Amino acid sequence: MPTPLLEARGLTKRFGALTALSGVDLDVNAGEVLALLGDNGAGKSTFIKVLAGAHAPTEGTLTIGGTPVAFASPQDAANVGIATIFQELALSENLSIAENVFLGREIVRRVAGVPFLRRREMKDVVGRLLDELDAHISDPDAPVGSLSGGQRQAVAICRALYLDARLVIMDEPTAALAVAETRKVLDLTRRLADRGCAVLLISHNIADVFEVSDRMAVFRRGRKVAERRRDATDPEEIVSLITGAHPDVRALDKQQ
Amino acid sequence: MTARLRQSPTLAILAGLWVLLVAGIALLSPGILTASTLTTILQFSSILALVSLGQALVILAGGAGIDLSVGGIVSLASVLAMMAVSAGLPATLLPLACLGIGLALGLGNGLLVTRLRILPLIATLATFYVFSGSAVALTGGAAQSGVPAAFTPWGRGALAGIPLPFLTLALPLFLVAGVVISATSWGRWLVAMGDNERSARLVGIPVDRARLIVYGLSGLASGAAAFVSLAWLGSARPNIGQNLELTSLTAVLLGGVSIFGGRGGVAGVLAAVLLLVTLQTALLRLNINTVWQVGIVGALLVAVLVADALTTRRR
Ligand SMILES: Nc1ncnc2c1ncn2[C@@H]1O[C@H](COP(=O)(O)OP(=O)(O)OP(=O)(O)O)[C@@H](O)[C@H]1O
Ligand SMILES: [Mg+2]
Repeated sequence: MPTPLLEARGLTKRFGALTALSGVDLDVNAGEVLALLGDNGAGKSTFIKVLAGAHAPTEGTLTIGGTPVAFASPQDAANVGIATIFQELALSENLSIAENVFLGREIVRRVAGVPFLRRREMKDVVGRLLDELDAHISDPDAPVGSLSGGQRQAVAICRALYLDARLVIMDEPTAALAVAETRKVLDLTRRLADRGCAVLLISHNIADVFEVSDRMAVFRRGRKVAERRRDATDPEEIVSLITGAHPDVRALDKQQ
Repeated sequence: MTARLRQSPTLAILAGLWVLLVAGIALLSPGILTASTLTTILQFSSILALVSLGQALVILAGGAGIDLSVGGIVSLASVLAMMAVSAGLPATLLPLACLGIGLALGLGNGLLVTRLRILPLIATLATFYVFSGSAVALTGGAAQSGVPAAFTPWGRGALAGIPLPFLTLALPLFLVAGVVISATSWGRWLVAMGDNERSARLVGIPVDRARLIVYGLSGLASGAAAFVSLAWLGSARPNIGQNLELTSLTAVLLGGVSIFGGRGGVAGVLAAVLLLVTLQTALLRLNINTVWQVGIVGALLVAVLVADALTTRRR
């Protein structure tokens, strides 16, 4: 068994008196799609925000490829190859598609220290990425404010693709999408993993999760209550783990 | 490019209003329409333009950004710089003293906003009172004369009817700001943080540092305006910055910058400055009561805000 790409140990995150995440251990391996499931408020987004450098954990450790890391910002996480598509998408409506994809890491030509944008180059890269996604967006210079929900999702995914990341985290990437777009995102998820990338996918859609993931972890009230390989479980079991009807989860709930 | 297009309705509206205004003047009092009036307008515009440029950057950067202390900075920087020269500072350093003091005061605002997390409206209202109060207290309200004669030819000179402070300082700074905002990463970060601060933070833009710098730049621009006033008037007046916070705010909003940040550019702001000063000059020459002047400027602001709201909704 090779070492996991990412190991989280005892991750805890408290917001004041509220414990959003409590002692979570989880490994993420290269080349696999790991799905996170759980009710609203279970702590999934909080977990991935810690991995993405958007929240500092209250307790616990993260190692990447065996080396401990501590992220002060999403930029730090990006620098070690973690790309995140946040649930809130994190796009600027007044900037163009290309500007959003490159926001914070623009391609520039420095003249006397001043970072001038290389618009043509950025536009070309984004055009290629959008084609790869089959996103039906013709003009990378269009403002993001004029796009539909699915198109925005595609822009956010482009950001992650451009990073050429080792770990891509997607928080409910298909929540706003129609059937055809959902297909594309699921295909892409699979392709990323087959390329050797690790993918962490959050979704409420059990059918999607069973189609695309290799492994699933179920969160409940800030804890990880179960972890299953896809070939060792079925949708009914996962649903009962999420809702708390499963005997294992009942036992855990009682312990608390 | 797209930003430019979205900005153009504002520019067109402002240009239209300006043409209307000039036509109105031509009808009412054609004698005013002379080259020297134009020079006067641009002369008065220089100070307001510089201050409005700083104000525009602060508002563009979002986070409820506003700088009410600009007038106080202009007054205090001109008074302090003159006092420093009177106390023995080499006269050649007067411009640097103005800029340095302006920058320091602006960074003070920035620290209150970014470190202490005080709402910009409150922080800069407080420093407005501190700065403008100090300017009066330090001088007892009297103008400080004795600006070195070397500076007044620049402050009062003109080339082809265009005052030198406007031609060599205000205009180039607007050009630089326009290029930086539209063609560099820094400009994109400024717009992005004004538009959606959370996402700007998530992509790793150093929002707090950028905001501190922006307040510093606003102070610097006010310091430059202070120097223009010294070189023009030949003395430091402790009330020179009076009302600049309101007029600069009007110019910025008239110029199409959204009060919520992230939208607009500096070209519209310069156009709005010229429109405002033309209007004020015309009203003055037509002997219209100053009370009316304020009301008319206010009505203009309302008109443009309504036009802007209507075009925004149609998009
Ligand atoms: N920044 C924050 N400050 C305070 N509380 C927070 C914050 N972020 C999340 N929480 C709380 O932490 C808990 C877990 O939230 P989280 O967003 O991680 O849930 P989730 O599993 O992603 O849910 P959903 O499926 O609805 O997206 C919730 O009770 C939420 O209210
Ligand atoms: Mg969530």
